Amino acid sequence: MRRLENAFWFTFAVPTIGIVLVLFFAPFLYSALGSFQSKSGQLTLDNYALVARLYTKDVLYTVGIATFSLAIVLFIGILLCGYLRVYGNQLVEFLFKIPLFVPFVVVGHAMRVFLAPHGILNSMVAQIGLISLDNPPSLAYSWLGISVALAWKNMAMAVLLILGAFRSVHETYLEAARNFGAGAIRQTLDVLLPMSASSLAVASVLMFTSMLASFSIPLMIGGGKGAQMTMIDVYYRITYQGDYGAANALGVVSYLLASGAAIYYLRTVTRK
Amino acid sequence: MKVNLGAMGRATAKIACLALVLFIIFGPLSSLAIWSVAEKWYWPHALPQQVGLFYWGRVLGSDLMRSLQLGFFIATAVTTLTLLCTVPVGYALARFDVLFKSVIMMLFLLPQAFPQLPVFANAAVLLYKFDLGATIPGVVLIHMVGSLVYAVWIMTAVFKSIPVEMEEAAINLGASRIRTFLTIALPLAVPGIVASSLLVFLYSLDEFTGTLLIGAPFVVTLPVFMYNASMGYELQVASITALLLMIPGMVLLVLLERYLKAEYLSMFGRI
Repeated sequence: MRRLENAFWFTFAVPTIGIVLVLFFAPFLYSALGSFQSKSGQLTLDNYALVARLYTKDVLYTVGIATFSLAIVLFIGILLCGYLRVYGNQLVEFLFKIPLFVPFVVVGHAMRVFLAPHGILNSMVAQIGLISLDNPPSLAYSWLGISVALAWKNMAMAVLLILGAFRSVHETYLEAARNFGAGAIRQTLDVLLPMSASSLAVASVLMFTSMLASFSIPLMIGGGKGAQMTMIDVYYRITYQGDYGAANALGVVSYLLASGAAIYYLRTVTRK
Repeated sequence: MKVNLGAMGRATAKIACLALVLFIIFGPLSSLAIWSVAEKWYWPHALPQQVGLFYWGRVLGSDLMRSLQLGFFIATAVTTLTLLCTVPVGYALARFDVLFKSVIMMLFLLPQAFPQLPVFANAAVLLYKFDLGATIPGVVLIHMVGSLVYAVWIMTAVFKSIPVEMEEAAINLGASRIRTFLTIALPLAVPGIVASSLLVFLYSLDEFTGTLLIGAPFVVTLPVFMYNASMGYELQVASITALLLMIPGMVLLVLLERYLKAEYLSMFGRI
């Protein structure tokens, strides 16, 4: 009987673990090994030399964009969640959950149309007379467009995570601060923020990694010229050049960039 | 009078802030709605010169419907298989001293922390070796990587939240572990299972990266269809597809709004 039961659980565990092992961990290791191989299969560091020569700028560009979007998200997120925690506003809270369920490709396309030189944003701003449509500034196809789109998409997750952390701060602390005359901003910056610093750090790490690894948004609104996000480079290297060696080397660089975050994330999650 | 002015000022500020929030959230989305009905739109007009449902009619009679059906079929398969796999595994991880438990949990956590694209690109090579490239089973499998990783954690959490005493009572009365699972734990876990299967369904419906890498050119789901239309500057077609793609997510948001917790949604923060 005991053996039969073990067999029962085992039957379900094998495909579950199997699929993840075969289709995630095997390709993961394979890409790491492949990055050290030339096309003929010899061990080499040429792929990394190529990545250093061609893509150093793109890696910095990617880190820059992720940092900038994260800064936007945190700045708006912290102030907004502080307001929501102190005063509460169900409508605004609901509205900021919407981007969570808008698929990435849709965000990419919507922002492409919205931020284009003759897009909705520019024509609205032109109505007020701030810019001229004869020589419109273009946010789409630039680093700023990618940052805005990434920030928009990640804002929902940020609000969920930050508001969750702020809600777990006990009301008595806020009351104490209010008794000393603190307004909403002081309560947020001096009480809520320091008391949820560790949750905020985890949230930042999560969002930073997901921005580094973003693919569909930069694919849709990134520029065709100049610097690219690293995931776009990986994709083009494979689809246009069939060069898995260099693509994998660039992939390994992206793993390393994410690994700092991954280690930090694992440590906090497993500690719970 | 002074007090009144202050109250009025505050009300105005509140309305202005709400307008700003509405603009931030709906501004980008509104361009989809406008483009979807734009029959004629030449620069420098701020709005389309001719508005109508011409493109809606054209799109709904096109390949889009096939992509839609295909997407729903794949998502149904992914959800069913994922549930079948992860419900028992989640229960086992929540209740038993499974061998190498922490290693297994780690195995299901790491994929969330690393970039997917380089991994999926190599998984595509592997799937092509087994003749699964550009096939529906191949796409189902690649969707399952993401959904299994997510569902194992959620299922474990769902079963952990059910008090163990009820199952102990059943076992004391002589029920086997499997019977206890099927008659006690499983029925109690139904709400959690339903919520997470809806999320898995939506994940599969919206998945882009894996579908593009493994499915192309034969398995075209709605996100890939939309990407192709947008890149080909068929802006009306792409915008209509984008609006259709948003519907399931918005329905789910309204249904699950109260139950949304950050830890259950990690999957949607990603590619």
